[in-house]
Amino acid sequence: MKKKGLLLLTVAILIGSIFAGACAPKPAPPAPPIIIGAPLSTAYVYGWAAHRGMVLAIEEINAKGGVSIGGVMRPFKLEVIDTRDLEPGVPVAEALLAMEKLILEKKADVILGGPLRSEAALAAQDLLTKYKKVSILSAGVLSPAYHAKIAREYDKYKYAFRITSEVIWLSKEATDIFESLRKDYGFDRTFIMVQDVAHARAIGKIMEDGLTKKGFKVLGHEVYPTGAIDYSIGLAKAKAGGAQMLFIWMDHPETGILAKQWYDMKVEALPISGICSAIEQPGAWAGTEGKVNYWFASPCNAGNAPSTATEWTMKFYDAYKARWLIEPEAYGVSSSYMAVYVLADAITRAGSLEADALIAALEKTDMMGIYGRIRFDPKSHQIIPSYDPKEGAVGTWFQWQDGKRVVVWPPTIAMGTIKLPPCLKPVK
Amino acid sequence: MVSRRRERLERGIKVRTDDVYALCSTKEMLYLVAPRLIPILVLLLLPLILPTYWQKVVIFTGVFALLSISWDFLYSFTGLVSLGQALFFGVGAYLAGSLNHYFDISPGLTIPISTIAGATLCTLFLLPALRLRGIYFAMITLVLPLIFLRIIEATAILGGTDGLTALAPLPGIWIELYLILGIMLVALFALRRLVNSDFGLVLRGIHDNDQAVKGAGINIYWYKAQALFIAALLGSFAGAYLTHVYMFVGLSAFALDFTVVPIAATVVGGMGTLGGSVLGAFILVPLSEVLRAFGPLRIVFYALLIVVFIILKPEGLFNYLQRKYREFERWVEV
Amino acid sequence: MLENVLIYGLINGMVLALLAIGFALTFGISGIANFAHGALYILTGYTVWVFLHTLGTPYLLAIFLAMAITALIGAAIYNVILLRIRGMRSSEIIATFALALAILEAFRFFGFVGAKYTLPTFVEGSVSVAGVIVDYQRLILIGVGAGLVGLLWFFTHYTKTGLAFRAIAQVERTALTLGIDSDRMATLSLAFGAALAALAAIVLLPLGQITVETGLNVLLNALAICILGGLGSVTGIVAASLLLGYAQIITVTYIAPHWLMVVTLVAIFVVLLVKPSGLFGKQKELEERV
Repeated sequence: MKKKGLLLLTVAILIGSIFAGACAPKPAPPAPPIIIGAPLSTAYVYGWAAHRGMVLAIEEINAKGGVSIGGVMRPFKLEVIDTRDLEPGVPVAEALLAMEKLILEKKADVILGGPLRSEAALAAQDLLTKYKKVSILSAGVLSPAYHAKIAREYDKYKYAFRITSEVIWLSKEATDIFESLRKDYGFDRTFIMVQDVAHARAIGKIMEDGLTKKGFKVLGHEVYPTGAIDYSIGLAKAKAGGAQMLFIWMDHPETGILAKQWYDMKVEALPISGICSAIEQPGAWAGTEGKVNYWFASPCNAGNAPSTATEWTMKFYDAYKARWLIEPEAYGVSSSYMAVYVLADAITRAGSLEADALIAALEKTDMMGIYGRIRFDPKSHQIIPSYDPKEGAVGTWFQWQDGKRVVVWPPTIAMGTIKLPPCLKPVK
Repeated sequence: MVSRRRERLERGIKVRTDDVYALCSTKEMLYLVAPRLIPILVLLLLPLILPTYWQKVVIFTGVFALLSISWDFLYSFTGLVSLGQALFFGVGAYLAGSLNHYFDISPGLTIPISTIAGATLCTLFLLPALRLRGIYFAMITLVLPLIFLRIIEATAILGGTDGLTALAPLPGIWIELYLILGIMLVALFALRRLVNSDFGLVLRGIHDNDQAVKGAGINIYWYKAQALFIAALLGSFAGAYLTHVYMFVGLSAFALDFTVVPIAATVVGGMGTLGGSVLGAFILVPLSEVLRAFGPLRIVFYALLIVVFIILKPEGLFNYLQRKYREFERWVEV
Repeated sequence: MLENVLIYGLINGMVLALLAIGFALTFGISGIANFAHGALYILTGYTVWVFLHTLGTPYLLAIFLAMAITALIGAAIYNVILLRIRGMRSSEIIATFALALAILEAFRFFGFVGAKYTLPTFVEGSVSVAGVIVDYQRLILIGVGAGLVGLLWFFTHYTKTGLAFRAIAQVERTALTLGIDSDRMATLSLAFGAALAALAAIVLLPLGQITVETGLNVLLNALAICILGGLGSVTGIVAASLLLGYAQIITVTYIAPHWLMVVTLVAIFVVLLVKPSGLFGKQKELEERV
């Protein structure tokens, strides 16, 4: 009897509270916010860093009153959802379900950010088509398959844009670094080590072909499975062949082992790594006790490491540091921040949130951003890259020099010069 | 102080002694039919009132429910501990995906073809492992999907790490919903019937004491292979189906979640009942969606919940509810 | 290149042995497959890190404290969780695996992700062995691995607890009649297994980074070694580790690194099918397996 009474009471309270909630006077909101849905794998640096970038941009825009759309100022509202797509063992279908939640339940007007894994992002393109949602991909995916898919079937996949770089342009930048090292120091022997994921394998192949064609000697090309914990044999091969430059492209955290092994085995070669979460992060120096000295890494877009690409670059860098008490940590921060501004600009010009108008406005985007002039290719919706920040989006490659991330490439925005480890002597 | 104990008594109903009486009494007919009819009705009506996003969750739940039934059938009735529901799922998914991508066959055909072909393939793959028991059979089933995953990754066949995208969708959400719910219900009731048939009896015998069954002159491997085929049918169907719902198949079709969630669902729901698997899936999957707002903390909650459940209710919810329904309890003085 | 293969194959084998030995010990004694093995490994790493960097404890003290804590957690896992579901194999596995997920994801939630989570090596520097450069940490690892194997052998053959362990492992009922407390032994076996996971973490983690993902890999490796070697003897574990260690390094050197995982997995598959008792298993395991 007692139990029943308790149960009844609980039910009564529940029902009561629901009614009370429904009847409570609601203050009429001034203007409905524009909802930005961000599917991100928030437990990973690429996810949380992109999230922080977006929050900063949205706070700045909302502080100025929001976005003007057809004469009404509307604020942005960010809805982040954890897709877990970077975690191993999680089906992509789950990331897609999360994205549907953003679209269907959170009523996102636009999708920004991810999904971050290329497999998930490629599958998500079909969802964008299905729900006619405009998306600006600003972190993670580097695979050229993403914009190739848009160029191939424009009418179907026109909803997707990408505001960060991709491996074909990154490989051009890397090749130019190799060329410059050959010119300055006479290095021409290289060894390639990449991770077994689509973008890394793609760039590994492009680099091997490209460098061989340009007369470099590629001593070996090793593809490591995700989670590999021993790189001694590859390094020994590089050492035995007399490699002067290593090309490394891995985004799993175990790359830290590679950095330490490179140091411990005294490999006399300059490690040039690109997207490499373990090397990119400011914590890498302390984490490897400085063994990461002389390593190259690329957080992809300028602004993720200190440089003066445009007037906005350091302004963003300092604002981010002030807001989050840490420097922009990795690839995807400046681009996610930028994506919000590009979106705000396009919405104002389009005067509506309707997909076709927004797509047309985004295609006409032309503004100076953190990493140079932001324009999208009208056919593939890929950002137009350049070495000159006045012409297009510039990349950024830094070298660890005594605990600092010093941007050394491209030369137009370099903050310092390339340094060689003492054991590596120039040939010229 | 009078010491008392709790006595459990089965609710007396006439049907147990004489079928004719049950047919005469509406009340007792209801008593028998209600626990089956009400869940069916709820399941079939539920999609009509849910918002679109939660309809999607129902689809997901149905997929996991099928995998859970398949796991429970193998474990509780045949004694095969499988850690490879992801294998069944992945093989079905990749078959459907490649049939649609390379040969342009419509989902109406790819799903049945890959269900049957997938089940046959999985049975063939596992055939050599059938003589293994317990955790060792489990290891084989755990390892096989990983091997396929690594081979696809290393050789870049079937779309490699990018997967196959832009596959044909199913025509509309209502077909998606009722297809999975229908198949799930059919599988549930058909299997519940099957395990009580002669065939099921032999399987239970294998589960309890395979040597004895062998001694009776029955080829246990033939029975195990058949059971495997049935379980793989469900898994492969789930894989082929979800591939077309999301128009995509990739490496993650072999993901560990497809193995772990069904086991967890069965444990929570109650092993050896098949219905418990479905109940478990319908608790865990939506719960995981509700908890999504908590980010990584959601997995912590979820995992701890499973631990707590295993400790406090090792029999599972379904068995508990069944007992409460069939028996009444009272305190008697000793 | 041959010297490289010889030396790094040995190192790789020892790494695998260290990862597997705790898991094998627990399973061998109490029949409990502790799927939280990998999570305990990672837990130790983060505990040492917190002691070192947040509390400023000296390295050696931090190591011992972390090992003790992990061992206690191991014992607690038995007494709080496993005791109630003992004998239900699948429930044991699910409970420990769920616990592992909870531990690992909790670390992820509290922000233990990033490049700064590393442990310092014991002795900095490297040395040339037959023309191959090996760092001291990896040499220490070989020493610890070999020492551990010896100690374990001594422990299980000449101490009272060790003999009780083996008795329980052989015939539980007879052991009970001889006055050996099965639950106490199981608690001890989990504590021992956890402590060995901790030891492995302390020796191995300075080589790389402490990451949440490593937890699952550790578990998979441990399982692979146990299946290959058979759970009967320490010898089996060591032999299987060396075999797999060399097989992996040879694959990496002469075929290609991305077949590395395939080799491991296929090895498990083939061994189970051809010789289900494992390479060095005895009759008793065979009965359990087939």
